[in-house]
Amino acid sequence: MYRQGDVLIVSLDESAVPAHLADAPGERRDARGRLVLALGEVTGHAHAVQGPGRLLREAGPLDPMLLHLPEGGRVVHEEHAAIPLPKGWYRVVRQREYVPGSVRIVAD
Amino acid sequence: MQQVNTWRAVAAATGAADRAAAEEGVRLAYRSAGLPEPERIVWAASPKEAVKAVELLSGAGKSVREEVRTGPWAEERRRLHDELGPAGWAELWSATGAQLWDTTRELAERIRAGVVSELVERPEDESDVRLVLLDAVLGQHDAAWLSAFDGRGERLTGLARVARNAGWWWPYEHAVVISERPVELHRDEAGRLDRGDGPALAFSDGFALYAWRGMPVPAEFLDELTSLTPERIRVEENAELRRVMLEYYGYDRYLAESGAQPVHRDETGVLWRIALEGDEDVVMVEVVNSTPEPDGTYRTYWLRVPPATRTAKEGVAWTFGLGQEAYEPVRQT
Repeated sequence: MYRQGDVLIVSLDESAVPAHLADAPGERRDARGRLVLALGEVTGHAHAVQGPGRLLREAGPLDPMLLHLPEGGRVVHEEHAAIPLPKGWYRVVRQREYVPGSVRIVAD
Repeated sequence: MQQVNTWRAVAAATGAADRAAAEEGVRLAYRSAGLPEPERIVWAASPKEAVKAVELLSGAGKSVREEVRTGPWAEERRRLHDELGPAGWAELWSATGAQLWDTTRELAERIRAGVVSELVERPEDESDVRLVLLDAVLGQHDAAWLSAFDGRGERLTGLARVARNAGWWWPYEHAVVISERPVELHRDEAGRLDRGDGPALAFSDGFALYAWRGMPVPAEFLDELTSLTPERIRVEENAELRRVMLEYYGYDRYLAESGAQPVHRDETGVLWRIALEGDEDVVMVEVVNSTPEPDGTYRTYWLRVPPATRTAKEGVAWTFGLGQEAYEPVRQT
């Protein structure tokens, strides 16, 4: 389990990966060839992964994403130190905040 | 991705329109739709003023929004869908339009609601204003779908040119009403309208929307924010407005000045609780950023967690959807 700012990256056993996602095509990379885990709407600062791999996104903004890094990688951000990640599958979770009556995501 | 960022900037653009370029885009859109160019183009300072201008138009003919915008858009979508296949289209949309969809749609909806609330004096007039709003082409706020089609054909070039240079516009057979863009737009990192000391969105004619982290607030309410006291916050009866007051005032300052006590402390942070009369307690975890700021200090921040939270670790774990026993980061930055 690794945390960079408002993003938590949790190791996931391969057997826990839903079958329909195991071979699904991943998200597109950004112009710099990175997998963007979370993007700041205004500053454009991003939590992003460099290196080979795939990011699989479920539908909603609060749903976790899955990250597959067959050779490991590094998660980088303009304002946080980089974190090296061993190879494997991960669940990527955005931080949220309690709001009476609802829940909203945190953006840093 | 580059193209999405360009359209992200279009959607958030402020300042005077390039009227010549926008009008050229309008005429091109008509020609692309197989229509004669409009005889008149009327400029308005805001969508609100534009709605009034539309209501005053005479001899403009019927709306041609379907021919100019919706029809060509649907055909381009069908063409690309056939060319790329369902999965390819879904992938294209997810890499382009989907990234801008929620924030621009919400902004457009807020503008519509603002126009309705300012122009409708009697409830029975509301549907008239809403009908005029339905005829609008959203210009810069059509950025989401224009980003998906960008670079994939010439058919929508006119629409895209208007969007890059102006705000909302109303196409009719013989006339077009077109609005300037806002002069001010302030949003938070999540893309929500957000400003504590003035309008979050404003046009040059004074039409404006006020919001704090996305929540619409009255203009007078913002004026009051600069002179808040803990006592004033305590007596505010509207829970949502009180939350805005607390956020503006600063939870940390409120905690210090209202004599709140930390409830629990562990390696993840500090848990605070503020009892509020007639409302659920405000419970917050105070955490310290793991990465130092450029000046070497560490930023402290507060996150509100459910009122039943008992420990700081349980609170931090909750913010990531985990139970406290499961939250064990081996590295954090």
